[in-house]
Amino acid sequence: MRIVVAYKWASNPQEAVVGVDGSVDWSRARPGISEYDLVAVELARQLAEATGGELIGLTAGAKGVGAPIACKAALSRGLDRAVIVEDDSLEGAGTTELAAVLAGAVRHIGDVDLVVTGDSSVDVGAKMVPTVLAGQLGWAAVAEVTAVSGQPGTLRVERTVPGGVQILEISGPAVLAASVDAAEARLPGMRDVLAAGKKPVEHLEIAALDVPARGAVVTVKGASRPDLKARKAQIFDATDPAAAATELVTALRGSGAL
Amino acid sequence: MSVNAWIVVGDHPTIGNLIAVARSLGGQVTAVVAGPRSVAETAAAGGVDRVVWFGAPGEAPVEAYATAVAEAIAADPGVVLGGRHSSERVLLGAVAARLQAPVLTGGHSVSAEGGEVIVAHSVFGGIAEKIVAVSGPVALVLDGGPVPPASAATPVEEVAASPLSMRVIETKMSAFEQVDLGAAPRVVGIGRGLKAQGDLVMIETFARAAKAEVACTRPLAEGLNWLGKDRYIGISGQHIAPQLYFAIGISGQLQHMAGVRGAETIVAINSDPDAPVFKDADYGLVGDLYEIVPAITGALS
Repeated sequence: MRIVVAYKWASNPQEAVVGVDGSVDWSRARPGISEYDLVAVELARQLAEATGGELIGLTAGAKGVGAPIACKAALSRGLDRAVIVEDDSLEGAGTTELAAVLAGAVRHIGDVDLVVTGDSSVDVGAKMVPTVLAGQLGWAAVAEVTAVSGQPGTLRVERTVPGGVQILEISGPAVLAASVDAAEARLPGMRDVLAAGKKPVEHLEIAALDVPARGAVVTVKGASRPDLKARKAQIFDATDPAAAATELVTALRGSGAL
Repeated sequence: MSVNAWIVVGDHPTIGNLIAVARSLGGQVTAVVAGPRSVAETAAAGGVDRVVWFGAPGEAPVEAYATAVAEAIAADPGVVLGGRHSSERVLLGAVAARLQAPVLTGGHSVSAEGGEVIVAHSVFGGIAEKIVAVSGPVALVLDGGPVPPASAATPVEEVAASPLSMRVIETKMSAFEQVDLGAAPRVVGIGRGLKAQGDLVMIETFARAAKAEVACTRPLAEGLNWLGKDRYIGISGQHIAPQLYFAIGISGQLQHMAGVRGAETIVAINSDPDAPVFKDADYGLVGDLYEIVPAITGALS
């Protein structure tokens, strides 16, 4: 069984600095592989171990996503090898474009039975790359996956539905987005870290991937800080909780909130 | 110039907001439904111009119809809207790929101007806002909402489809009681300030006194599993706009507060006077929630 796990090398928006004009400065943020992606890698790794399958890491992005530090971070998590598409034209690339590039890479790798991704990226958080990726490949897609087992052709996938879980059987190749609690990512041991340096890394040229042209033109018209409702920010002294509680309830009743 | 809109629908009938946005674009509105007949009928009675339905799904999950949905829309591309449930995201993803259309999430205002679609949306986990103009097809993920009854129902057009080879083998319901937070006029949110799962009893007592539903921040639902996943409020969780929201033991990070930005009144209770939540609240009480919450429960009784 050949399993690809697509991960992202990206920064947490909490570390970005937003200007008054809404511009986002990432220069002081440090990129990494997010905890949700590590959950996906662990889920894929457990399936690879159970089936004797091959586990291939895949990522695409601007310069830096294929740097040695990034590759080692991925390869130390039990991947057999990594495939990287690193191109500055992918700076700020949207969901559909990234999915198209990833699909091209999956086709290039060939004979892939399953692609596993995290729930969402730490920076964009759209939860859409896995589903668009499936669309680019013409494959089945399932999100909020909590477990996966079986062989290609009879894959059993467990996923969260409102109020419970559902088990699906999928006959063909699929893209699965792992739920954030699908697995507990194990910490890399010394052996994993040392082995990472020796695993093969393949860099793919974007021009060789036959990425389809964009279907629309997007123009940025403006940016701003979040438009949050102005709040009263009235603080009640809670040294005497009972008194503060009475004050609060009076204020809420007075304003019609209660 | 008006813009035609498509709405991709799975087995969740809560597409009210999607219909409203689609209608506001001025063109024809078509719902493509890959769920049960009841959902197709809800869409048909919700004020859309056309409903295309792939028939009773049988054992096939909604996701099996992703390719069929994409093909139905490819014939006449435009703006495509979908909800935030995972199966709806799968349908929308297939359409976006088929049209090579950009995907925008976190949109809170959509309009059509001179043949372009203008979208104001939240980016990077809510730290900033962007306004973009799209020339060509675009896929938008939007909040759902109940479908208000419309004047007349449009007929449901049943069409054949070849679903992908997927089937549902089993469905197991969980112990957590489901809740519709979006319908609750008052909500009590609890965060990491709560030390133990057993302390939820105190929160539930308070919520009963306040006639409120209980909700939480993401770690309590996903990491700790103290509450069902349909109870966590945040940028990737529930988006609610109640009349009154209590943020208890919640630091006030943007990822959470973005989920209650529409609340009329927000009350924050936190022991840290520097917690960001106080800037985003109308009323704040700095102190120990284990003393303040019972005190408010008492004041309400």
